[in-house]
Amino acid sequence: MPKLSRRQFLKASGASLAVLSAGGLPSFAAEAKRRVVVIGGGWGGATAAKYVRLTDPTIEVTLLEPNKEFISCPFSNLVLAGVESLKNLTMNYNGLRKHGVRIRHEAAAAIEPDQKRVRVGKDFLPYDRLIVSPGIDFLWDQIEGLAQAKDTVLHAWKAGPQTVELAKQLQSLPDGGVVVMTVPPVAYRCPPGPYERASMIAWYLQTKKPKSKLIVLDANKDIVSKTALFKAVFKDYAANLDYRPSQKVEKIDVGAKEVTTDIGDKVKYDVINVIPPQRAGAIAVEGDLVGGDKRWCEVDHVTYESVKQKNIHVVGDATIGLPVPKSGNVANAMGKICATAVVSLLNGKEAPVIAPGNTCYSWVNDKEAIAVVNAYKIENGKVVQIEQKLTPGKSVGVAQNSLAWRTSIWSDVLG
Amino acid sequence: MGKSLLISSTLTVLALILTAVKVEAGPLDSPGAQKSLVCSACHGFAGNSPGNTVPIIAGMNANIFKKAIKDYAEGKRQSPEMEPYSKYVIQFGIDEIAEFFASQKPTRVAAKADAKAISRGATLATQCAACHGPKGDGDAEKMTPALRGQPTGYLQAQMALFGGDKRKLDDAGSDEAKKRIFKGLADGDFADLAAYYVTLK
Repeated sequence: MPKLSRRQFLKASGASLAVLSAGGLPSFAAEAKRRVVVIGGGWGGATAAKYVRLTDPTIEVTLLEPNKEFISCPFSNLVLAGVESLKNLTMNYNGLRKHGVRIRHEAAAAIEPDQKRVRVGKDFLPYDRLIVSPGIDFLWDQIEGLAQAKDTVLHAWKAGPQTVELAKQLQSLPDGGVVVMTVPPVAYRCPPGPYERASMIAWYLQTKKPKSKLIVLDANKDIVSKTALFKAVFKDYAANLDYRPSQKVEKIDVGAKEVTTDIGDKVKYDVINVIPPQRAGAIAVEGDLVGGDKRWCEVDHVTYESVKQKNIHVVGDATIGLPVPKSGNVANAMGKICATAVVSLLNGKEAPVIAPGNTCYSWVNDKEAIAVVNAYKIENGKVVQIEQKLTPGKSVGVAQNSLAWRTSIWSDVLG
Repeated sequence: MGKSLLISSTLTVLALILTAVKVEAGPLDSPGAQKSLVCSACHGFAGNSPGNTVPIIAGMNANIFKKAIKDYAEGKRQSPEMEPYSKYVIQFGIDEIAEFFASQKPTRVAAKADAKAISRGATLATQCAACHGPKGDGDAEKMTPALRGQPTGYLQAQMALFGGDKRKLDDAGSDEAKKRIFKGLADGDFADLAAYYVTLK
């Protein structure tokens, strides 16, 4: 008789409930627990950990996340303009514990694919399937002078203390001062994020420090996302916002308070915000999950299994090759789809074919927002866009919808 | 072994097995649940939206769900959020997704009860009852959706669309009746009606 998986055994036992004796029970316990380890408790990893447990509570799930709290990057640009507090964006992981996720607030030191285990300090966590959701890391060396100055030149591109500190710097800016913000070349986390930030800072300057100016130095040829909508918004801020496309910052001199672009322009600042170029989180690079570009992880579009390492799945901003943005909403969708695939595969079934979706709001002042929404399908095993829709313009209604979205999705990730 | 002990241990075993079998039919095992995984980002787990402007679709009549999806896909109901996702639902299986949400139990919205607003809303709602029923349960036969227990933000946004004639009803007679009602309503009435329907037991 072929060996039954636990799930098949349960099914069989359910069908023949009447004849099953108490003697059958110990064999449940005797069978080894299936183990899933998740690296990273952001939008993708926390969602995946929760949904593996929701889909099959017989699977043991351990989540590795060094931070004790989850801080939402979405809405953190509002903190910079003083219209939201970081406290409202900060949540704990207790909801996941209620689902039976074991949480260790430690970083994964190394992945050992041959042994199917993750090293954590001196400890090893064995896995049957590993889900890696490492987020992004910064390529400091792409901008001369940045590596040495990375503690004082803020990115605020991972919501947290830097968000609060950058907000303080903006508050201390004298009226008439210059804020410089740099946008990295694609691909980077949250395509519309820099333009939402520019809008919120410009709104802050317009209302609180009208003689001040924000200069945006964008390494890209044009606004990367929601282009027409942001262009209309930027027009409203013309007096306080100077948007300069195709201006890749290559050097920073913190002594002179000056950045230099690739065409040799030198721009002076009072407050600087450098969003550095990015790649997948370090563990993905060290674990040989990134592709030829040495930056991002290529995955199967249905299971999110790495194309390079068996039994290792990657979700969230660290992935590439799917026609989806690096957004929290997409990471959440990938987390759910990947969890479903992992549970199916661990139970000897084929993974269901499910595509992600993306709902992405950007605030442009203290009351109004714009949005882009994308739906996808799977065609010949690949994610393909069905449709993209933008809001007609900025509105209070869209901003209200974004608040409903955050309530719902935070609960979907952590609740 | 005493008889009662035997029975109780048998029951324990049965309970254990039943618990185990229940695991087999988990909340996400049905195809409809898997195909609607992306929906929970906005509509909450199993369609119980915790957000104020997003409708609760748990327990929604399957035919009404399907009509809403088709209306969004065809642009009859305009929503930048729902237009792409309605096409997603059609792509992945509208019948299974509709059945999944219809079979979920809706949870009540924790709404603040403003007695005066509710009372004003109750008076205004007598006009709505002809189609939406005395308890706001709608009429699935006539494809009239339930209003009871929906979040206030969603109810008010839909009333604003009806009031501005940006959402129309298929049946010309019903659409005229709706227009007449909305002509008689002031903007402030929307909040009162929403307060009434969200708290209606």
